[in-house]
Amino acid sequence: MKTLLKQHFKTFFNSYSEIFFLQSPVAGVLLFLVTLTNINVGIAGVVSVVAAYLFARLIGMRQAFLSSGFFTYNALLVGLSIGYLFALEPLSLFFIVTAGIFTFMLSIMTNSIFSYYLKLPILSLPFVIVSSIAYLASYNYSNLYVTGLYPHGETIGETISLPFWLDGFFISLGAILFSPNSLAGLLFALVILFFSRILFLLAILGFYLGATISGLMEGAMISAFMQINNFNFILIAMALGGVYLVPAPKSYLIAAIAVAIATMLLDAINLFWANYGIPAFTLPFNFITLTFIYVLALVGFPLVAETVLRTPEDTLDEYISNVSRFRGNFRKLSLPFSGKWTVWQGFDGAWTHQGRWKYAYDFVITKAGKTYKNDGKFLEEYYAYQKPVFSPCRGQIISIVSNLPDNLPGIVDKTNNWGNLIIIDTTLGYFVELSHFAQNTIRVKQGQWIEVGTQLGLCGNSGYSPQPHIHVQVQATAQIGAETLPFSFHGYLENNLFISNDLPKNKTTIEPLHPNRDLEFKTTFILDQRFTYEAFQGEQLVRTVTLSVCMAAGGETYFDSGKAKLFFAKDAHSFYFYRLEGNDPWLSLLFAALPRMPLVYHQDMTWEDMPPVSAVAFGWRKHFLNLARAFYHHIGKIHYSAHWESNRIITGTLQNGGKILPVKLELDNKLGFSLVRLGERCLCKKEVL
Amino acid sequence: MTNNKKPYVKPTIIKLQSGLMNKFGVSPYYARKVRSNIDGVSIEELTKQFGSPLFVFSEKTIRNTIREAKEAFATRYPNVTFSWSYKTNYIDAINAIYHQEGSIAEVVSEMEYDKARKLGISGENIIFNGPHKSIPALKKAVQEGAKIHIDHFDEIDDLETVAAELNKEIPVAIRLNLDSGIQPQWSRFGFNLESGQALDAVRRINMGGKLRLNGLHCHIGTFILEPNAYKTQTEKMVKFAYELEDMLGISIEYFDIGGGFPSKSKLKGTYLPPDVSVPPIDNYAEKISQGLFNALKPGHFPKLYLETGRGLIDEAGYLITTVFASKRLPDGRKSYVLDAGVNLLFTATWYKFTIETDREMQGLGEPALLNGPLCMNIDILDEGSMLPPMKRGTRLILSPVGAYNVTQWMQFIEYRPAVVLINENQVEIIREKEDLSDILRRERLPKRLRLA
Repeated sequence: MKTLLKQHFKTFFNSYSEIFFLQSPVAGVLLFLVTLTNINVGIAGVVSVVAAYLFARLIGMRQAFLSSGFFTYNALLVGLSIGYLFALEPLSLFFIVTAGIFTFMLSIMTNSIFSYYLKLPILSLPFVIVSSIAYLASYNYSNLYVTGLYPHGETIGETISLPFWLDGFFISLGAILFSPNSLAGLLFALVILFFSRILFLLAILGFYLGATISGLMEGAMISAFMQINNFNFILIAMALGGVYLVPAPKSYLIAAIAVAIATMLLDAINLFWANYGIPAFTLPFNFITLTFIYVLALVGFPLVAETVLRTPEDTLDEYISNVSRFRGNFRKLSLPFSGKWTVWQGFDGAWTHQGRWKYAYDFVITKAGKTYKNDGKFLEEYYAYQKPVFSPCRGQIISIVSNLPDNLPGIVDKTNNWGNLIIIDTTLGYFVELSHFAQNTIRVKQGQWIEVGTQLGLCGNSGYSPQPHIHVQVQATAQIGAETLPFSFHGYLENNLFISNDLPKNKTTIEPLHPNRDLEFKTTFILDQRFTYEAFQGEQLVRTVTLSVCMAAGGETYFDSGKAKLFFAKDAHSFYFYRLEGNDPWLSLLFAALPRMPLVYHQDMTWEDMPPVSAVAFGWRKHFLNLARAFYHHIGKIHYSAHWESNRIITGTLQNGGKILPVKLELDNKLGFSLVRLGERCLCKKEVL
Repeated sequence: MTNNKKPYVKPTIIKLQSGLMNKFGVSPYYARKVRSNIDGVSIEELTKQFGSPLFVFSEKTIRNTIREAKEAFATRYPNVTFSWSYKTNYIDAINAIYHQEGSIAEVVSEMEYDKARKLGISGENIIFNGPHKSIPALKKAVQEGAKIHIDHFDEIDDLETVAAELNKEIPVAIRLNLDSGIQPQWSRFGFNLESGQALDAVRRINMGGKLRLNGLHCHIGTFILEPNAYKTQTEKMVKFAYELEDMLGISIEYFDIGGGFPSKSKLKGTYLPPDVSVPPIDNYAEKISQGLFNALKPGHFPKLYLETGRGLIDEAGYLITTVFASKRLPDGRKSYVLDAGVNLLFTATWYKFTIETDREMQGLGEPALLNGPLCMNIDILDEGSMLPPMKRGTRLILSPVGAYNVTQWMQFIEYRPAVVLINENQVEIIREKEDLSDILRRERLPKRLRLA
């Protein structure tokens, strides 16, 4: 019950922080208190949110509703906007409640449509619509005007006198929560600064750029800076520069361009809307931001944030580490052979991998740079010839050609380009095709379901193939010669380096790996399992840490220490951590000591990784590093490298800035880890007696 | 022209044979082989520096052979590890080369086990085979995590004793013997598959509750010239593993299919030369992978260990020996007394070595006997070759002698010679020539028997 109540409050306060793109109930409390400086506005906001909240319960929304302030921040804004206009009394309260519920409904509807059809967030669009409607409607509510209209301008902040360029900034910021005064604005600014330096800088960038452009166009700087609607520039800069795009100089440039465009839009809307006596609200922000996000996502702009985390700092941290950690494509194949083979032709190859067929790989076996012994006049002299070919995926065999003869070396069959082939339906929406099998060596049958590693046949030289090789591609449809799609290979060795998912370059020699069942079992964590560790700093016992295995609403699994959550996942070849939510130095330790564990035991194999800042840095260093990386992603090198010392001990190093720390990890005999050590700090599993 | 004097050739006596043709149409004269160097280092240089007799190993050949073998298997089956058979040749330097090439160790006695550990091989990288493992040896191996392959029921008892003492579950493998379609069938080692003895052994292990079976081992024999036998063997082993999984819930993590691949040595009594009769390693890899893929479930690649010894090392080893004396036997044959005999080449009993001289020899070939230095009638290295007359001091190079000789050689009335390794024209000594101190080191002369 207590936790449920806590959850309700969290949701309520999150509505406040969401408006500034922060997901923090603490920030929400501060913002809420600031709105109370105008008691009418403050209470109106609360009423609207509570109305929306109760209505949600009435129609049976519980869990989904509790997850964030996502569905209520629009209702909050509408409440604030009405409270800004009318004093609290029965009629205005009724007006707020109905408008609040309407906003809530509109939020849910627009969110459903936007997220499904457009893959866009709704931002504060429902607020703009409902508040405009409410303001228009109120023209007829003479009764409400008689009782409810109250004089403005007597809030506390008016006494401070600031230069116009500072005053304007704070007033705009305050106006976002309908508290257009310098003090409220100053407090908001401090809250933003405390929770996100990146957002704070973006707010400044947006305001001054937008106001200066407007001022230059209008020829009146002071009036341009004191424009209350300038908060649109602030919101656009924050949304594009740091929230929906990953913070980076390129994103800031885009945000600046958007702000520049918005000045024009804002002036147009101001003129037009003013005819009807309604303010522009956040319409320019919504219009510009949604347009930009839609187009950027459409063209596949690389800096579009895949997941928006709590702060731009978090998003940035995860983005930088993910770019280096998870390189490949989601269409993942195992290598279709055994032993060491060499890439003859990769994507966009020099010879045949072009145009519609550019996403394909060819593999041969080389020794001392040659693919054959003697002079290569006979097929039997080619190392790849008659070597087994294995299935790179699960699926069903849907077509087979196996009767074409093998060409003599140097001769190609131009009629049957693909030679003897197999097409596999992966049932994941794409097809895998393998070519140039030796004549009559295919061992599988049409319709047969196969696993990764089923032997398909032997490598040959049929089709458009001057020398025996394996050709593999992913295609969109089942036909022979269909258009190819990008893919990548997972779980292989390149010069003794374990690669979890990537595209090997031309001429590199690689070797597939197969997971050990033993290691798979040792990393199969089941919900509700608990592990207790003693945490040591040097020789000193600091505390005990209990990790429980939990599952989030989206199905992600994580270790919960009570203070923070460490998310983990597993693919065919590795167990890995990928996100740390909250602050717990001992979960950070686990993340930093083992960002990824190959499920393959192979002597002489090393693996490299780059855990995020959140796993390796604390306090001011963490904030500083995140801020510095917002301008240049490659600042502060974090490099992890490890290898198997024996089949249950991993050793390695973690380079964090100038420091290099030794890493040691011992696997438990049954499940998980019995010892995790990074430098001086260590987690030792407590034996359950 | 006139001063071009013909070299003197010693007279030879050859028994006249009429009506018989040479089966292969090769005159003994052209069959003569000359080897002036090993990997670029001349025989003369080698004997000058290290004396005669001298064992010489070529590092290049060793590395090339293991790499080729590894590739033949790795390109056909994705989870193969070679395990160097110590008994074939356990000189540290030789072992180290194989370990550098990624092989783990296969030992069959406590001595070999200790040797591998001393060399720096961890317990988990040692396969401990063999019919004789004492309890202290087992205990040590268990503590160090070695892979122990059980040979007989008594060993199950011994291991359970060890398990109880150490309070530890021990992962083990059992050795099987089975009918792979060849003769002779090796049935002395391990548990018989067809008679149900192997299943009994597994049941016995399972019931004891102290050991956990996780591997199967089988070694069908030595110098196997029929690759198909391995296909039969692997199919049977995998099927047995799945039977155990279904019946007893045991999961077999690895298969050790032993060794037995032949080298290009001529087994006595075979008709064809080894270049013709010995199949290339690719044929064995092909048959073994076929056997595995026929029996294994798709996508299941348990670890495969190979204990190949002879096939990897034999051709890398040479013995240089010198003609010490010659005599004519009453039956007319020539007998040469060499400085190396069966004391150094134990395998001479079964194999007929290639005989090369360090320079071209003049004269007709005559039937000759190669005898060693031992004062024993059985000391014969070769008795059926046609050899040209050889002077005292002629160097002979016998090969392939890399397998089993430097482990089975004996110290009988002679000192054992040096062993050297050639690596890119560098010659390094890997075992010194023995002297009297080696023989006296372990002897103890009681005070009362001292003569002076």
